[in-house]
Amino acid sequence: MFEMNAAEPMQVDVPLEDNENNETECYVVENPTLDLETYAASYTGFAKLYRLMFVADHCPSLRLEALKMAISYVMTTYNVSLYQTLHKKLSEAIASAGLPDVAVQMGSQDIPVLDTMWVESKTKKAAIKLEKLDTDLKNYKTNSIKESIRRGHDDLGDHYLDCGDLTSALKCYSRARDYCTSGKHIIMMCLNVVKVSVYLHNWAHVLNYVSKAVGTPDFNEVPGKDSNQSILTRLKCAAGLAELATKKYKSAAKHFLAASIDHCDYPELLSSNNVAVYGGLCALATFDRSELQKQVIVSSSFKLFLELEPQLRDIIFKFYESKYASCLRLLDEIKDNLLLDMYLAPHLNSLYMQIRNRALIQYFSPYLSADMRLMAAAFNRTVNALEDELMQLILDGQIQARIDSHNKILYAKDVDQRSTTFERSLAMGKEYQRRTSMLILRAAMLKNQIHVKNVGRETGPQSGEAPGSSTSLTPRSFDPVPL
Amino acid sequence: MITNFDKLCGELEKQELEAPNGVALPSTYAQLLAIYLYQNDLCNAKFLWKRIPQNITSSNPEIAAIWAIGQKLWKKDLAGTYQTIAAYTWTEPIANIIKALEEKVRERAFNLIGRSYSFISLDTVISMTGLNKEAALHVCKERKWELDEDGTTIKPVPPVQPAPLHTSSEDQLFKLTEFVSFLEN
Amino acid sequence: MASSLEQFVNNVRTSSASGHFRELVEMIGKSDEVLQRNSAHLSTVLETLDIQQHSLGVLAVLIAKYSVPQGTTEVDKTNMYQKIHEFITNCNGEQVRLAPDLYAELCHQLTEHLIEIKQPIRGIELLKKAIKKIQLFDSQLTSIHSDLCQLCLLSKCMKPALEFLDTDVTGIGSELGGTNDSKHFLLYYYYGGMIYAAMKNYDRALYFFEVVVTVPAMVVSHIMLEAYKKYILTSFILHGKILPLPKYTSQVVCRFLKPLSVAYHELATSQHAAIKHRETFVRDKNMGLVNQVLNSMYKKNIQRLTKTFLTLSLSDVASRVQLSGPAQAESYILNMIEEGEIYAMINQKDGMVVFLDSPEKYASPETLCVLEQQMAACTKLHQYIQEMDEQIQVNPQYVKKSAGSHDEDMPATSQNSKNTYSM
Repeated sequence: MFEMNAAEPMQVDVPLEDNENNETECYVVENPTLDLETYAASYTGFAKLYRLMFVADHCPSLRLEALKMAISYVMTTYNVSLYQTLHKKLSEAIASAGLPDVAVQMGSQDIPVLDTMWVESKTKKAAIKLEKLDTDLKNYKTNSIKESIRRGHDDLGDHYLDCGDLTSALKCYSRARDYCTSGKHIIMMCLNVVKVSVYLHNWAHVLNYVSKAVGTPDFNEVPGKDSNQSILTRLKCAAGLAELATKKYKSAAKHFLAASIDHCDYPELLSSNNVAVYGGLCALATFDRSELQKQVIVSSSFKLFLELEPQLRDIIFKFYESKYASCLRLLDEIKDNLLLDMYLAPHLNSLYMQIRNRALIQYFSPYLSADMRLMAAAFNRTVNALEDELMQLILDGQIQARIDSHNKILYAKDVDQRSTTFERSLAMGKEYQRRTSMLILRAAMLKNQIHVKNVGRETGPQSGEAPGSSTSLTPRSFDPVPL
Repeated sequence: MITNFDKLCGELEKQELEAPNGVALPSTYAQLLAIYLYQNDLCNAKFLWKRIPQNITSSNPEIAAIWAIGQKLWKKDLAGTYQTIAAYTWTEPIANIIKALEEKVRERAFNLIGRSYSFISLDTVISMTGLNKEAALHVCKERKWELDEDGTTIKPVPPVQPAPLHTSSEDQLFKLTEFVSFLEN
Repeated sequence: MASSLEQFVNNVRTSSASGHFRELVEMIGKSDEVLQRNSAHLSTVLETLDIQQHSLGVLAVLIAKYSVPQGTTEVDKTNMYQKIHEFITNCNGEQVRLAPDLYAELCHQLTEHLIEIKQPIRGIELLKKAIKKIQLFDSQLTSIHSDLCQLCLLSKCMKPALEFLDTDVTGIGSELGGTNDSKHFLLYYYYGGMIYAAMKNYDRALYFFEVVVTVPAMVVSHIMLEAYKKYILTSFILHGKILPLPKYTSQVVCRFLKPLSVAYHELATSQHAAIKHRETFVRDKNMGLVNQVLNSMYKKNIQRLTKTFLTLSLSDVASRVQLSGPAQAESYILNMIEEGEIYAMINQKDGMVVFLDSPEKYASPETLCVLEQQMAACTKLHQYIQEMDEQIQVNPQYVKKSAGSHDEDMPATSQNSKNTYSM
């Protein structure tokens, strides 16, 4: 997902989840209505940097602005290598824009120049700080004060994170585990690990530590009900992200729906708006009608999230009111902006597809027969395109129906239970016979010790003479067309 | 006149397998080939044709003529099948088998039409059955297939299933008992 | 020299006369060398022995007579077919069943000889007889089975093999397993699969190829690889996709076969694979099957249409499954109706097809009959499994292990039962 991975030598060891890699098609968003300033203000740390870089990669019109903001932000950290990467990207962006005058014109006042002095001094400062923290930690260890050691590890982790060394940060945060003396410490440790794991896209790790945190014995006794709520919301959000990234949209939706708006303060990972959009879309794609009503529409807590994204709220209500045409149109309208969201973008198409299919299924569910011309109008499609879509749904078994292409009518299929039962049991019987005779044969094989061994020249894979390669058999025994 | 082709088939197969040096008489090959076609066993017909020694096929034009029918059948070219049958003057005992073959192919064609078409043009019926117009109309009438008012379209009716075979209720009861006793154990 | 040969003849005579056949088998096993050394005198020896009374002795002499010892020149095989024919027809079944490996060896020799002189068809009847003579029961597999199938394939005369292929194997001759390599076992199922495929009985063909691929293996044999390729193709023809191999397939097989048959896997994803890998398919002599796969893909697509549509115009059918036009679509549909693969009505008047459900209502006496047959087959299999289970229950080794000290023997026991039952 991130081209910068290559530039950060510490990250190569981290295995990225498969699904991340194959969905990074290069697409370009032309006309987003995104206000970058506000957008970036919702995040801190790596969330801000990564998101800005994602926008820069996919939206040429916002590229320069996004990179500039990223650079100015990265200068508040010790992340020297990312600073350099960003500068490289910036100069590439300027070059590829092919507008030297723009560069010249803006370059003089606007475009930041690579500050080698800054790089040197930051690198030096980072090293000094690292050394200090290291020495501190060693001292704590000689004095074996558990609490200090834990803090030492955490501080060191924080520093690594600040420098952009995620793997080392993860190691430090995890090491703190042995020095936790209370449930609260364990939960803090989990939160740290979860955060870094999200940055690393190590989703299995994220889920693992979320459940560890929730499973901590005195999770519910942590002093201060509010802080407890806020921790829970953070964990739910992180778990939601992990489920979303691994395409488990339904459980992603459930996690996001469990977030509490009053305690949703997690700028290191996501904003409240993100929760609304992720949760809303996943729910729309995977919930049935009653689930949608109970858990989304009348949910007092999620309602507040949806207030943040009025467009999405309208979409969900339109969907529930079966106004599919306007619902789908609104979805198309917000698509460009959503494509600039780094976590959502790879899944947007399949989420949209599922929402659409759900709409089609719901539309037809009360009917015995439906006029496809009306249906096509309701879904902004031509009759032929609708026919193709319906065909796929029928083949997947999502709609029990048949298409009368002659009269353009969709008929619900009435299933003859008796016949299907007969059909199934006969098929089952056949399968049983096949398997059982195979089993009997296998028993006989094992009893007679029939297996392919290395001894027989003829049966070895490297043998020159291949008894099975039909060298001695005429190939024509297979030619089905003799003419 | 031989009518039990299945029995003859078995005898001919045996003759071929027991032939000295593995080469049977041309008449054995010819009859067997024709019977395979009659049985609609095109796979075995094809392999038989391929294994008949070259010198026999080249000196016995009738065998080649039989296989010419086989090729048409393989391609499901019904019209071509009838033409190929008509194009050769068959000698006994082959002529007998070929005659039976032609009737069987035609019977199959009529049944297929009945099963597959709600409306079919008279021309298609003629080419699928190899009959002339009068004969085709006659069979259609026999089968109670109506001629549409346009005079060129036939409305076929699906063939009736052959009468169900009867098993004695005693036999059924016996089987049922057996089955239940199996389940109980 | 001659005296050792005389000794052999005497031994054969006395043991046969007194009925000590087991000792005789042992003795024969050791006299290999003697017979080979005196190959010049073997015809004379044959004359002194009686096929019926001294079957084992004659068997040993025949094998020695027709095997080519290393370093020597051609053996006179002019009378070979006749001699072996005579032997197989007249020998004493009880005697030869004591030496199934020698008996099979003789049949292998005959097979090789017939292939050499290009008269494979002559061996078919003889080998059928040979198999029936040595079998203890009908469903026992012998290593002669693979010879029979090979001769049938080579002579393009497949039908005689079917009666053997159609019988599901429940027991295996001792000459096939043990320390012998499993070549003949693999070959039987490989050739059998090929015969079924040639007869267009793809269901059985798939079963046979699956057997080959799932034979326990430490290394991958060429036969398995070729069978796997054909497994893929038949699976496509029948199911439109590659059926996954069963879990008990050996690890090494799963690991090696796939990378060696990439071209075949590509057929699943792209229509062009057939053209792209044409050379591979032709070299593997599978082009005929590949063409069948392509043809079946049209049919599978039409079948999909029948699941989704009630009516469709012939030209729509053609465009949806990429046929050249309504006429071709009509002929495909007509053929599929004839084969009972779909149910439909064509209307030539307006060029529409109505797809129907199967007219089978499962209410006819035929249905009952089919049902009864199927249930009887299942019952029979079930009873067979129960018998097998009982045999294991009373097997002393099993009883000892399952009743004895559990802790130590546990791994062995589970291994044991797995061997017998795991599929």
